[in-house]
Amino acid sequence: MGGIAIVGLDCAFPGAPDAEAYWDLLMRGGESVGEVPPQRWEADELPDTVPESARAGINRGGFVAGADGFDNDFFALSPREAAAMDPQQRLLLQCAWRALEDSGQAPGALAGTDTGVFVGVMGGEWGRLRMGDPSRVTPQLGAGSAAGMTANRISYHLNLTGPSLAVDTACSSSLVAVHLAANALLAGECDTALAGGVNLVLTPALGLMYSQLGLGSPDGRCKPFSADADGIGRSDGLGLVVLRRLEDAVADGQRIYAVIRGSAVNQDGRSNGVTAPNRWSQQKVLEAAYRRAGVTADKITFVEAHGTGTALGDAIECAALGGVHAVPRKKTCAVGSVKGNIGHTEGAAGIAGLIKVALALHHRIVPASRHADRENAQLRLAERGLRLLKSPMRLPAGEILAGVSSIGMGGTNAHMVLAGPPRTPRRAARPAGETEPVGVFTVTGDTPDALRRNLADQAEAFARRPRGGAASLGFSSNRVKTGLPYRFAVAARDTTELAERLRQAAAHGIDAGTPAHRSWTRPVVAFVYTGQGSQYPAMTAGLYRDSAAYRHFLGEADAALTRHTGRSTRELILRGDEAGYDTGDAQTALFAVGYALTRTLGELGIQPAAVLGHSLGEYAAAVAAGALDLDQAAELVAARAELMRNLPAGGGMLAVGAGPEALAELLAAEPTLALAAVNSPADSVLSGPLDALDRAALRLAGRGLRTRRLDVTRAFHSPRMAPVATGLRELADGLRPATPRLPMASSRYGRLLHDEPLDAAYWAGQATDPVLFGAALTALATEVAPTHLVEIGPRPTLLPLARRAGLAPGTEHLHPVPGPEADGRQLAELVATLYRAGLDPEWAALYPAEYRTVERLRPYVFSAENRYWSRRADRATTPAPVERPVTPVSTPVAAPVEQTEDPVLAAVIDAVVTVGQYRPDRVLASTRFYEDLGFDSVMIMQLKDVVQDALPHLGEVSIRQLLPALRSVGTLADFLRELALARVS
Amino acid sequence: MTEAATAYLASVGTALPGDPVDNAVLGKLLGVSEEWIDIFVGTRSRYFGRDLGTGEVRWSLADLCAQAAAEALESAALEAPDIEFLILSTTTPDTLLPTTASQVADRLGLDYLPVYQLQAGCSGAVQALDLGRTLIASGRRAGLVVGGDVTHRHLDFNRDLARIPTDELVNYLLFGDGAGAAVLTAEPLGEQVAVRGVLNSLTGLGRPAGQTVDWYGLTDRDQDRPLLREDYKAIEEQVPVMAVEIFWELLEQVGWQVEDLDHLLPPQLSERMTTRIVERLAVPGVHEVSCVGETGNTGNALPFLQLARLLPDLRSGQRALAVTVESSKWIKAGFALEKV
Repeated sequence: MGGIAIVGLDCAFPGAPDAEAYWDLLMRGGESVGEVPPQRWEADELPDTVPESARAGINRGGFVAGADGFDNDFFALSPREAAAMDPQQRLLLQCAWRALEDSGQAPGALAGTDTGVFVGVMGGEWGRLRMGDPSRVTPQLGAGSAAGMTANRISYHLNLTGPSLAVDTACSSSLVAVHLAANALLAGECDTALAGGVNLVLTPALGLMYSQLGLGSPDGRCKPFSADADGIGRSDGLGLVVLRRLEDAVADGQRIYAVIRGSAVNQDGRSNGVTAPNRWSQQKVLEAAYRRAGVTADKITFVEAHGTGTALGDAIECAALGGVHAVPRKKTCAVGSVKGNIGHTEGAAGIAGLIKVALALHHRIVPASRHADRENAQLRLAERGLRLLKSPMRLPAGEILAGVSSIGMGGTNAHMVLAGPPRTPRRAARPAGETEPVGVFTVTGDTPDALRRNLADQAEAFARRPRGGAASLGFSSNRVKTGLPYRFAVAARDTTELAERLRQAAAHGIDAGTPAHRSWTRPVVAFVYTGQGSQYPAMTAGLYRDSAAYRHFLGEADAALTRHTGRSTRELILRGDEAGYDTGDAQTALFAVGYALTRTLGELGIQPAAVLGHSLGEYAAAVAAGALDLDQAAELVAARAELMRNLPAGGGMLAVGAGPEALAELLAAEPTLALAAVNSPADSVLSGPLDALDRAALRLAGRGLRTRRLDVTRAFHSPRMAPVATGLRELADGLRPATPRLPMASSRYGRLLHDEPLDAAYWAGQATDPVLFGAALTALATEVAPTHLVEIGPRPTLLPLARRAGLAPGTEHLHPVPGPEADGRQLAELVATLYRAGLDPEWAALYPAEYRTVERLRPYVFSAENRYWSRRADRATTPAPVERPVTPVSTPVAAPVEQTEDPVLAAVIDAVVTVGQYRPDRVLASTRFYEDLGFDSVMIMQLKDVVQDALPHLGEVSIRQLLPALRSVGTLADFLRELALARVS
Repeated sequence: MTEAATAYLASVGTALPGDPVDNAVLGKLLGVSEEWIDIFVGTRSRYFGRDLGTGEVRWSLADLCAQAAAEALESAALEAPDIEFLILSTTTPDTLLPTTASQVADRLGLDYLPVYQLQAGCSGAVQALDLGRTLIASGRRAGLVVGGDVTHRHLDFNRDLARIPTDELVNYLLFGDGAGAAVLTAEPLGEQVAVRGVLNSLTGLGRPAGQTVDWYGLTDRDQDRPLLREDYKAIEEQVPVMAVEIFWELLEQVGWQVEDLDHLLPPQLSERMTTRIVERLAVPGVHEVSCVGETGNTGNALPFLQLARLLPDLRSGQRALAVTVESSKWIKAGFALEKV
């Protein structure tokens, strides 16, 4: 059966800054009504005409803490604009980001989609407070005060292009907004919708009105369906749900809180009065909703009622509910209202009820209705098929249906039917005895502080959990917690390790003194392939166990090689024979490892910008560069291995800590010796007969030079390899290599390849010629300028050599398999490192399919440091100065401001600070108008005026002239300076 | 028993703290030879939730039980709201109140459900299973059974260990810390292992306790009576006899022949005792599933640790029988499983 899935949510209500706290408040049966904070209004501000008995109630209510805080920098909004914005817009913008994260996706990933935004909002109090005085009107204040902007801001800042609208049906606004969103999804107008509402109590006006109508509670508390019910207490609240069509949500593996099965909206029409409730219309909206949902009233387990706690309102609502629910049924329908806990959140009342029901269906328990213990007997609930929830109700297994009601003062009624999430598990059970894979957990923030704040928050969340696997959490974080400029990533196998590493990073910097990573560019990665000598028994076995991708690609290489060798190279590697490999097996095995590592990294989105192979390593490098395909390379490597195996044993190699110049004399004296490799200006290898090598070692030792015999049984890269060269030339006669797609440094030529084909002649010569690794790496480093070198092989050999010799200075060195103990962890750490450096990996390839599930993570924690709400400015009777942000007391005043001798630059900085009300230390010559300061066309207009006033000798400057210069503050200053010179001359 | 009353094991989770402590390390701490441990106890390694050097308790019983239970939930692909009861058995709760069972429920995010704690020894896991099976039979859909023990209150590695009498010293060699958990369901989910029979029977009328685990309070904390006492002679005599009886009684209860059996989970007092019991049972061709050699005697966790080893090998249609004896007041316990 179809429906609309609630896949994400976020909210803030009095005493509950987030959804977790909201649920906790409800389950505790808590209440969060108190005295009005002086920031809203002073208790003694009420007109003298208000009777004493009503004053306390009007001056009480539910107020969210920190409603003045706003992370405007996160959304690149100037302080001036932030200060002019209705706090309902500000808070809802942050709420939207968090709700989308809760739905298991990075909000940025929705940019450009037709996602819709539907916001219920009835309070225009900010506008009335700010726009009342025409002399204070500004463009920012205009946009900042419009109700529609609560929705449109979200669409703008997240770049969502679906329907975006504010709904005002008084107290049913937010449930009507959700109804419209669900319909838009069903009609195909959008594929994702954000829906909900917001309400902030800024003035006592509505409280006075309720009081005058006899609807205001004398103690400011709603007591729904209670014998003590005596009226409404007003409250703040905001909440958004993320909606998808059920089939889409299931297909995308999203977690589902609950499913909207049907909803209805109607009107009282011409009832007893425009503000009077109507029993029959309320009953009809219930009937319509049940009909649309395809359910009957007896199947509804509980209803979250509107339940304002006015005697008349409660009576009419119960009569309407009874008109539908007083049918033969197994059990009476449980009824409650969240208003007993948090008060009446008006425009956000429907979303408060809806989120309560969604969480109840998710947790399979319905919170008790506060004040239900003093049930109003006159409501005759039992005979109406209803019962008031006096204690929390655990929901039985099986499908549960629930309803939510919301009723507007003007007669617009809404009802919605919800069901619990689908019972089918989102993933298969995991077989016993499986080791949990290593995941990479990512966190990002818009500033280093934001990153630390969120690292600490995630660490705290995981520290509270029992120790358990971290792979699915990693996968989820890769989906949700990426996309902001400052990046953190860490590999972890379980939650305890993860919590500890996050905590460390939050407390002591991301890694050794680095406060946070922000990469302006992507990393440039070069792959460097090792040759013979790096092999060892069971090399890469740990990675093979942990990485499905590596298993797959080692299998591919094995199949290609087996066609030519007749036996499994994979088994040769994995059986871990302590005797090691003969020279033939070593070559096929290293080629297989090199190929499989390359492809595994490729699956993870790590593609080399250039490659370089050392001796045998050139074959896998050539495949990576696209010069050879796997089969061509496998045939060549198998042949090379066989030819070298068949050479008579004898001969060897000697590594010498000296460059070729120092060896010239020795080579002249020992004509049977050949220079086999120049690995760096101070690292060479000699090749030749053993007796000659022994003599050479003695002579070199006499000169104080370090030497070391290599563990090989042939004199590779010497004229003794001539039969191999001949064999390869014959075999590869018809080889038609492709042109490399990537820059490839040749260790045969000691430079980047240009037009030379990697044909038979190349591979033949490659076997006998010396390996010019040092020169090749230097050429690669110079011409490609990599930021990272990744060694491809079973252990690091070339990178330590490069580091010792100072080749490719300034590059970071990484290895997916740093030694025999390596497993999936080191690969994960390599991915984490490159992510921090700016690479965007293909995360899914890191996780086995059964771990690619999206778990709920704690949503982004915004900065509450900037506060924008000054009462004095609000109510000033004399013409107020421009709207100013309130500088937090804790902010150190006057951080180092860029000192400038340049009067034009100084004037521009002043003008920018004036227009946006930025902290002066935020505006530097390098600061960018759009990305950093969030400039828009209105601000540009204002900037032009201020600049012209400040620099009168410029004369008139047109916007058209100005626009191209508006890259950074510095570029604008440069432009103006030149303009002034031009006009003077 | 009707089909509706069958409970199924959907998954098992286990938790062993830190790195294993081998006999070399333990022997050094206790001043006995590695070989001596090997000959008399046979256990090769065990785990401790405390740091043996500093004595700091790094894993409480609740930590271990919550970890095991979370793993079981995760493996079964179930979530907190699906769980309708929790039963935890232990000899060594972290505090008397709140119960470790309720602390574990809190860690797992469980609320508004019946939570039981059983005070028991080696038969505790079976008692929990028995009760869980009853709850499933009465209509609950899914629940957690958990068992675990920690030794830090009863074994003091910081005292002068050279002067402990041998019969007390043995305790230091036998026991280890650990926890295990299983998800029980009314429908076959996850591993889909049907619980065909459970035996849980006190048989100690008039018999002196074979094992005593004592505790001190405010009024008797200065006494130096040992907290752990075992009548090893009685245990060595009685346990194998009882194990054989349990084995046959369970087979009879579920109506299986010896030949029907594929796996046997024998009592895990110590590696030596287990070997002796298995020899005595002499079931041909059956696959023995034991863990005590690697984990030590972890009390209430043992059957779960054995189950964790059994499940990867248990194929559809195969049958397994578990036998356990609690020698405190001589409790016979065991269960019969069949993978559907």
